[in-house]
Amino acid sequence: MPSDPQQAIAIVTAFGERPIFGPGDPVRILTRSPVGHYRVPIYLRGKTGTVEAVIEPAGVDNEEEAYGRNAGAKRHYYRIAIPMTEIWPDYVGSARDGLRIEVFESWLERI
Amino acid sequence: MHPQDHGHDHDHGHDHPHAEISQAGQPGYYEIMETAMRELLVERRLFGADEIRRQIEVLDSRTPALGAKVVARAWVDPAFKARLLANGRAACEELGISFYDDTGLIVLENTDEVHNLVVCTLCSCYPRPVLGLPPDWYKLKPYRARAVVEPRAVLAEFGTVIPDEVEIRVSDSTAMVRYLVLPKRPAGTDDYSEEQLAGLVTRDTMIGVVPASIPAGRADP
Amino acid sequence: MSQSEQLVRRLPNDIGGVPAEPVQRVEHELEPWEKRCHALADVLDFHKIINTEEKRRGVEALGAEMVGKLTYYERWIVAFANILFQKGILTPTDLACKMDEVAARSSDEVAAASARPEAR
Repeated sequence: MPSDPQQAIAIVTAFGERPIFGPGDPVRILTRSPVGHYRVPIYLRGKTGTVEAVIEPAGVDNEEEAYGRNAGAKRHYYRIAIPMTEIWPDYVGSARDGLRIEVFESWLERI
Repeated sequence: MHPQDHGHDHDHGHDHPHAEISQAGQPGYYEIMETAMRELLVERRLFGADEIRRQIEVLDSRTPALGAKVVARAWVDPAFKARLLANGRAACEELGISFYDDTGLIVLENTDEVHNLVVCTLCSCYPRPVLGLPPDWYKLKPYRARAVVEPRAVLAEFGTVIPDEVEIRVSDSTAMVRYLVLPKRPAGTDDYSEEQLAGLVTRDTMIGVVPASIPAGRADP
Repeated sequence: MSQSEQLVRRLPNDIGGVPAEPVQRVEHELEPWEKRCHALADVLDFHKIINTEEKRRGVEALGAEMVGKLTYYERWIVAFANILFQKGILTPTDLACKMDEVAARSSDEVAAASARPEAR
């Protein structure tokens, strides 16, 4: 008899159902340069930060949604914490200051 | 000259002219476009005329007074505040503030250690269901361009000076989540009723550009 | 990188971090047509005729010059027109004819109003 009830149920989750990243994970925002619509600002491309929170529930890719594709494969958005000094080499302010932004899973990689 | 550096946005310092009015009483070009489009879509039954009227009523009912009620409740009720910080939308709905769209709400608490500021660099994302429509300055280039690079200078332009020991956290809204700042409760308000506390909470305190304060010259609540 | 490449890579609304002037705390009470335009956006979104993200893309697609020169709601209404045309819901001719009709109707109303005795 399995001690963990969940072990008795074996499921496979659909693509995108489970978040790839979790709070505390160090991540980098990718540097691809889409022609047309995008929702990751240029000032953050290539910057590294930490996942502060997983946004639930999973959602449609807003860049796809802009072309009318507002159904289908959902993935997670993550609230990412990035120090201001990481974004701006000449940042004027406190070294503690930071930025928060929601980023779709397809724009992040683990570092 | 780069396209981003000139154009209409630059001119918004003056008394703002809106729909071009070609002669007195005549609607301007864009108003005519809006009217024509709406009438065509209603004629073709894509939606009913009453839906536009209703949505105007919905919009008119959403003002910063709603956000002020949420903040005041959070100041007096720690359990509500905990629920608010865990799920902003659900806590607003507890108070009867429905969200007519699919957006979520994250409430950002200002403390002695952290001061939060909200911006949408890409457009004008704003927690409309609980605050109403955003002011022009929030949607214009100076605020959107500079809040993420020099927040302390931007805050100073609002008369807000945050000490260096306090972290400034700028949230740039880009997706389905909207932000509401929970300002610090001003000192000297222990005797205030919830309603009196709500009276201290203005729209700009919930964007994060100014702290909540007791208006100068007011000795008693 | 050529300057034209920059125009393609950077959307006209992507202005986080670009040089800008001091904030001027301007605000205005919405004109009635602007409020109707905002309500129209919400109703189009509820019906999934034009969702919010499509609207944003439509505004971006106006290009840097229009984004710079049209006001906030002017950008929305022109973007809606373009999107409705793309989706085959309206044609440019439909809208143009209706706009002429609305303009003529307004002229008639203005003329009638100034012909009334109390206007003299």
